[in-house]
Amino acid sequence: MAHARFIAEVLTPEGEAFNEEVEMVSTRTTLGLIGILANHAPLLARLEPTELRLYRSENEIVRFAQGEGYVQVVDNHALLLVEELIDTSELDRSELERLREEAERVSASADADSESAAYARREIRRVEAFLSILDEK
Amino acid sequence: MASQREVRNRIASFKNIQKITRAMEAVSAARLRRAEQRVTALRPYASALRRMTRQAARDAGAVAARVPLLTVREPEESVGILLVTADRGLAGAFNSQIIRAGVQLGAEVEGNRQSPVWFATGRRGVSSLTFRGRQLAGAYTGFTDRPAYADARRIASDLVTAYLDGAVDRVEIIYNGYVSPLTQRVTRETLLPVAAATIRAEDEGDGSGESGAAARDTPRRRVFPEYEPDPDKILRVLLPAYVEISVYRALLESTASEHGARMTAMRNASENAGELIENLALEMNRARQAEITQEILEVVAGAGSLV
Repeated sequence: MAHARFIAEVLTPEGEAFNEEVEMVSTRTTLGLIGILANHAPLLARLEPTELRLYRSENEIVRFAQGEGYVQVVDNHALLLVEELIDTSELDRSELERLREEAERVSASADADSESAAYARREIRRVEAFLSILDEK
Repeated sequence: MASQREVRNRIASFKNIQKITRAMEAVSAARLRRAEQRVTALRPYASALRRMTRQAARDAGAVAARVPLLTVREPEESVGILLVTADRGLAGAFNSQIIRAGVQLGAEVEGNRQSPVWFATGRRGVSSLTFRGRQLAGAYTGFTDRPAYADARRIASDLVTAYLDGAVDRVEIIYNGYVSPLTQRVTRETLLPVAAATIRAEDEGDGSGESGAAARDTPRRRVFPEYEPDPDKILRVLLPAYVEISVYRALLESTASEHGARMTAMRNASENAGELIENLALEMNRARQAEITQEILEVVAGAGSLV
């Protein structure tokens, strides 16, 4: 069944990544996975690293690996602000594993309350989310 | 009259200067392109994040009163002033116009019986404020050529901390906004408290060129949105992000402006050098002609005395 369509706009600090009509947006907020359809109630949520799927139609899906960010839905318009967005086909397992090792080292050696440890923990979460995208594929 | 050799030496040194200024112009032009790309890419994201934060703050209602970054303090006793300058000079009025605006604001603040608290990025701003005997609460240098998000985060976190600790009751930021390679506009924005923050026209209008953005701000849609997590928590993350992105944007605008200003300044310098070289060449020709005339006169006089 064809769904009603709405506009999804994805912005990153490096520019606009996506701005098209879609049937559904699938992503993850701090509370869990969320699928946004047309006429969704107004929403403001924090995004967590995961695979962002933009459904142009049932079979045509645009996929990105998404970093942290925010999503806002108002008036049938979904605006996603993400700090980082990578085309899933460009994810590199060995590079991600190297980043994870590095972050784990920092997190193990740094003071648990320090800024750098907090940053390393976030980095680990991000890298693991990206790795699990690769696993699913 | 200067001798030929003297004039020739001066021409040679002006030619060297011209070579240097031409090279600097080319370098700035190349960097300008990159900096311009970064700032234009960032603008829609920054505007959207700022818009989103303000909407969230407005819709949060009673919750907002409990979020310190939102509450306007009365009376304000001290005002933080962040000047965004460059590490290097030779960029025309780029640095001095920021410092002038900053000092002016400082005087204004003092006139209101408030005390200014100074922050500066870029060696030029830091050294110039120190020279004027101002105490700096924060000095950030070494990255103005190519600021990273981490730099903005560091500055933002210092500003937020100063605000939360009560060291400052308001934060103003002054930077060169990028208009075009030839034009930089000294821009002053209120950064904190967020409720009093300067609203840029492009933030409110739609930065993205979408019809939705402007309409989304109209009051008839004051439906309470769902928040995940709750509004209190989300505001606590959004607000620092708002400050960070605002600082980052100011840094990028300033960098693009700096390269633009330096490119223009160096082009003018090259042109001036060219003009001087032309004038000196004329003077040298005259000197040579004078020498020749002198020699002929001497020969004629010498010949005359033999007759």
